Amino acid sequence: MNISILLDFALKGLEMSAPIAFAALGAVFSEKSGVINIALEGFMIVTAFTVVWGSIAFQSIWMGLLFALIAGILMSLIHAVATITFRVDQIVSGVAINILAIGVGRFLSQRIFAQETQSAINPYLFPTFHGINSFAFALIPIAFISWFVLYKTVFGLRLRTVGENPEAADTLGINVYLLRYAGVMISGVMCGFAAATLYPSRWINGMTGGRGFIALAAMIFGRWHPIGALFAAMLFGYADTFRIMFETKIPIPSQFVQMLPYVLAIVVLAGMVGKAHAPAADGKPYEMGEE
Amino acid sequence: MTLLDMREITKVYPGVRANDNVSFSLNQGEVHALVGENGAGKTTLMKILYGLQKPDSGMICLKGKAISIKNPRDAINHGIGMVHQHFMLVPPFTVLENIILGKETHRAGVLRMEEPAKEAEKIMQKNGLIVDLNERVEDIPVGLQQRVEILKILYRGAEILVFDEPTAVLTPQEVDELFKTLKKMKKQGKGIIFISHKLDEVLAIADRITVIRRGKVVKTLKCEEATKPLIAELMVGKPVFMEVEKKPSSPGKVILRIKNLSRTSERGHKVLTDINLTVREGEIYGIAGVEGNGQSELVQAIAEHVKLESGEILIEEENILDWDVRTRRENGMGHIPEDRHKYGLLLPFTLADNLVLGQHHRPPFVKGFQIVDTPEIRKFARATIQSYDIRVPSELTPANALSGGNQQKAIVAREMRFEPKLLLAAQPTRGVDVGATEFIYKQLTTARDKGKAVLLVSADLDEILTLSDRIGVIFKGKIIKEFTQAEATREEIGLYMTGEQESA
Repeated sequence: MNISILLDFALKGLEMSAPIAFAALGAVFSEKSGVINIALEGFMIVTAFTVVWGSIAFQSIWMGLLFALIAGILMSLIHAVATITFRVDQIVSGVAINILAIGVGRFLSQRIFAQETQSAINPYLFPTFHGINSFAFALIPIAFISWFVLYKTVFGLRLRTVGENPEAADTLGINVYLLRYAGVMISGVMCGFAAATLYPSRWINGMTGGRGFIALAAMIFGRWHPIGALFAAMLFGYADTFRIMFETKIPIPSQFVQMLPYVLAIVVLAGMVGKAHAPAADGKPYEMGEE
Repeated sequence: MTLLDMREITKVYPGVRANDNVSFSLNQGEVHALVGENGAGKTTLMKILYGLQKPDSGMICLKGKAISIKNPRDAINHGIGMVHQHFMLVPPFTVLENIILGKETHRAGVLRMEEPAKEAEKIMQKNGLIVDLNERVEDIPVGLQQRVEILKILYRGAEILVFDEPTAVLTPQEVDELFKTLKKMKKQGKGIIFISHKLDEVLAIADRITVIRRGKVVKTLKCEEATKPLIAELMVGKPVFMEVEKKPSSPGKVILRIKNLSRTSERGHKVLTDINLTVREGEIYGIAGVEGNGQSELVQAIAEHVKLESGEILIEEENILDWDVRTRRENGMGHIPEDRHKYGLLLPFTLADNLVLGQHHRPPFVKGFQIVDTPEIRKFARATIQSYDIRVPSELTPANALSGGNQQKAIVAREMRFEPKLLLAAQPTRGVDVGATEFIYKQLTTARDKGKAVLLVSADLDEILTLSDRIGVIFKGKIIKEFTQAEATREEIGLYMTGEQESA
């Protein structure tokens, strides 16, 4: 029985970690290119809606995923256009998108499902494996692919250059804007993946529950590194799983157990102060040479 | 053979003709120096060559063919490379990664590192530019970082190399190394454009010298016909006396006394060991040394309230270790900091506000209950601008709109106006043009003659030799030798600076 509980915990934890980890990977790409992205939460609200709607409309979770990816890219384009082309403050743009997304989710739900706070049930899901969403397993290969892309490819080297020293990139003939757009758009795609692992059986207003922000914490704790972000996200995911599985079984008031992931986030971030190394040009808009 | 020919280049910014009909050519195997005061238009011309700016008119010919350079990529493709004044490196990347950036070798987008490493090794051997390819750029000294910049350009197969003030950040030894490299590249038939303020260096390395003033070419000289006073005169448009006229010093009582000062860095390295020195009224004490040997830490210990391992700092025999910065300043300490942008000025603030910084809280600049008296500040600023010849449209111009020379003049003016007993001058003429340098030299000697104690720290040995009455050589955090002006020679100080004479 202990073994089965352990297996349960391991799998459930992976499922809980996946949305946070995908979003954190997205944040890594965005910030490595030099664009702070606090709009992940907003991206996820909208992608979580489109994955459900796409699945129902086309009777396939794969279509749902496709629509989630498209929605992720569209949302990320808002952030990219605002911050890269128009050099709007990246935090302001992120906050605005998060607020916008709440409205977009409710508006679409009202128009399509005639209910503002939740969608219809989506019966078209990924196959389950021991009771968890099997798409969660895609997390591990995607995390390693992310690492490979960032550190072993020309694209990754240039993306990181743009986040560290855009001026240098510019003088070497590397297109700063293009790469930053790519970085931000990959974060949109990752939020599409995140949505596909986040209860695609129904969209509910507020279902993202701040995971986009926890993902940011995971990215920082993971030192802007994809594998670091993966493990940090798993720390949060497993802490949450622990709460769900054991809060009734341990003699601590449940409120304290529920706080666990959030307290963890704060403690971890406070402990990281001064040690973390953000890309040098992270958050700084760049104006390319005259033309 | 003419490699490059820039013909009648004109570039107008709102209100300024940055380049006015400038023609400039470069031959194969030649070092052509481009000299001029700050803001004369050297940088604009080079930005045009490198595709960072578009000229309003004029043309650029490469080996006799007209070309158009729209962006740096075009410039690189035409074999033009630039070593920027502020290095264009990515500090957390390795040396090799920095070299290949933008010209990576790959297979289906996946980076290949072995071939570029071999290629880079070859270039390093050929030009005598040895760097460890696997080190991170942030971990290597500035001199090596510059090599990485040069390697980057050579890796792209550049035939024309532009060096924008390359020696500003280098130690004398590193400058020698750089010059050896330049000569090697010259022999290989490359063309080199060398931008500098330092006339000695220009004369030492250049084959031709083009002087540019207010956006116009004043003259192109052959090296043989050029002399320092002649270039200086062409640059500023009036004769300049680089040799500062100085009366013999008549030092009085001791103002600054440092006793057995030792300091450890945050990382636990010993940065200052047992420093003992005194600076008297009416003398300039110069600290010579290769940068990074504890000069910054020493100045900081005197000017700021920092933790020391041991020792005492006395001003007029009073221990100041417990004094905070304001108390130190109020008791007669002036400080020209080494980094004027970071510590010297509030760049977005007006010149007037910058000129009263540090005194802004005292009458006459405030009245009543700490209410700022703006008219008084402006009046003071106007008078200061006039007497210190700061060239600026108005006292309300923000500090970041001033040229480097004028910014530095403003700092000197501020620190001098309040009549300090002790003046700390750290790299006072770094990145400053000849006219402003001359002015600052005059101010420092005037301060001395008025009986102030001046502690001068400079990486420029000529500056130390020109100004100082006594000289201390700092090496690895120790003052290893003191000279009086009479007994100091360039060569001997150089030996101590590099530690050759450490045990003597």
